[in-house]
Amino acid sequence: MDRFDKFNITILVLISLITIGMLVNQEIIKRRSGYHEAAAAEKARYYAEQMALNATIYQEVISLKEQELYDEAMTKLQEVMKTYPGKPQSYVYMAQLSLKSGKLADTIHNYRLAVEKESDFMDKNTPMFIGHEIKELVTESLPKFGREKKLKPNDKAVRNALKDLYYLQRRLAGGCE
Amino acid sequence: MKALRMIDATIITGALLGLGGVFLVYFGNPTNSGLCVSCFLENVAGSLQLHDDIRMSYIRPELLGFVLGSFFIALQSRRFRVTGGSSPIVRFLLGFFILVGCAVFIGCPIKMILRLAAGDLTAIAATAGLIFGVWLGSRYIRAGFSLDRVKDLPQLNGYIIPFFAFLLLLFLLLKPSFILIGDKGPAAMRAPIYISLLLGLAIGVFAQKSGLCITGGIRNFCLFRERTLLNGVITVFVSALILSLIMGQFNLGLNAQPSSHLNHGWTFLAMVLVGLASTLIDGCPFRQLIKAGQGDVDAGITILGMTAGAALVISWALRSTSAGPTFEGKITVLAGLIFSLIIVMAYRNRKPA
Repeated sequence: MDRFDKFNITILVLISLITIGMLVNQEIIKRRSGYHEAAAAEKARYYAEQMALNATIYQEVISLKEQELYDEAMTKLQEVMKTYPGKPQSYVYMAQLSLKSGKLADTIHNYRLAVEKESDFMDKNTPMFIGHEIKELVTESLPKFGREKKLKPNDKAVRNALKDLYYLQRRLAGGCE
Repeated sequence: MKALRMIDATIITGALLGLGGVFLVYFGNPTNSGLCVSCFLENVAGSLQLHDDIRMSYIRPELLGFVLGSFFIALQSRRFRVTGGSSPIVRFLLGFFILVGCAVFIGCPIKMILRLAAGDLTAIAATAGLIFGVWLGSRYIRAGFSLDRVKDLPQLNGYIIPFFAFLLLLFLLLKPSFILIGDKGPAAMRAPIYISLLLGLAIGVFAQKSGLCITGGIRNFCLFRERTLLNGVITVFVSALILSLIMGQFNLGLNAQPSSHLNHGWTFLAMVLVGLASTLIDGCPFRQLIKAGQGDVDAGITILGMTAGAALVISWALRSTSAGPTFEGKITVLAGLIFSLIIVMAYRNRKPA
């Protein structure tokens, strides 16, 4: 090892120590300022805000639904969807109202749209989870549409409903996304 | 005797992969995804903020175990040999396309076997595609295809990927603020770190000794009717199947299968790409990790390509969801096949007329 190597190693050790020191210092500062707690709180706040916002936006829809005025609730929901296009929660209400009105294929399709737009609906780790109601629907609907397919093998609506059901089944099964 | 030991190591590696894959699901990994190199690389890419899907962000200890297990045993058994320099940019891009192929199927070849062993019949198209892709690759090898010769490189090169694996392990344990660990979606589904790491290390050790490779097993059979590695591949399936049945994870059918879709044609094509590209670069995604651990710099380059792919399949949606493959995913699979075929033509040593 000549002088050049020794000089290089000294510099290397020095820079490494400075780098590690800076990283550790930065990490300590972040942890002292409660970085992880802040991130968790931020997440909780996000969901709380979403829930509160939904409660405000869909207030009338929920109220009409509770009064069992499903057609009026659906009309109101369609107005809300024009004002707030693309909100995944709209499809959940659409599904629930369709179910109350006996439109099973629409119910299934709207649940599919909701889940496609917002994975949290299928995630037990979030407050948005509605997997239980979807599972119930899928369990009840599969035999029904299976029978219908046998009776009407070329019916496009039945085929589409089954496709949606299979999609929901796969999402319920979990796994990687 | 040596051949017998080799078979033993292959069978043990296969059994570890098959049983480990099912056990890891029991301990918390996503259903049918106990072990998956491509999904786990997507998780690692997310954790390093290379994409912004928090649901797919976690440093999977299994992958680190594969590399480090292979590294330690290669050092200990003096099989750590630093080589490289064979068409690095081609390997990088093939690594990228392999990852896209895996993402369109939703799983690497190991997960394909685990899915099949769990009764997921959608994996049949993938298996057919992979076998066809490898068969095609072996035909090209017979017709004169080979990438550049590798050469010995300075030792330092071989330590870089194992060093990164070690660094990622530190990140996982210390959880610095720049590392994202998802607490929902697949990222939240994880076996305890020590179980995943120990299993990964054990698999890394035996995979380095045996050279087990999913596509390599099929390729050797296609080329030479040689079955050592293929026996390991079959062992992965049989052991996973038996344990799935015992543990109640077996669910036969096309529907209600986790991380699957019903676009069988695209599944087939995606796995043709994975099989072909893996044969061209001499190893499936799993084998690339093992080779990188034992000093193969070219495999390291491929891993970098796969990691880039892992980030971009999420960011650019070059993948499938339960609804099926995206348009972008389909186009990239086709682009990958075109690229692979161009590489085959460019690197083929033709016999003089």
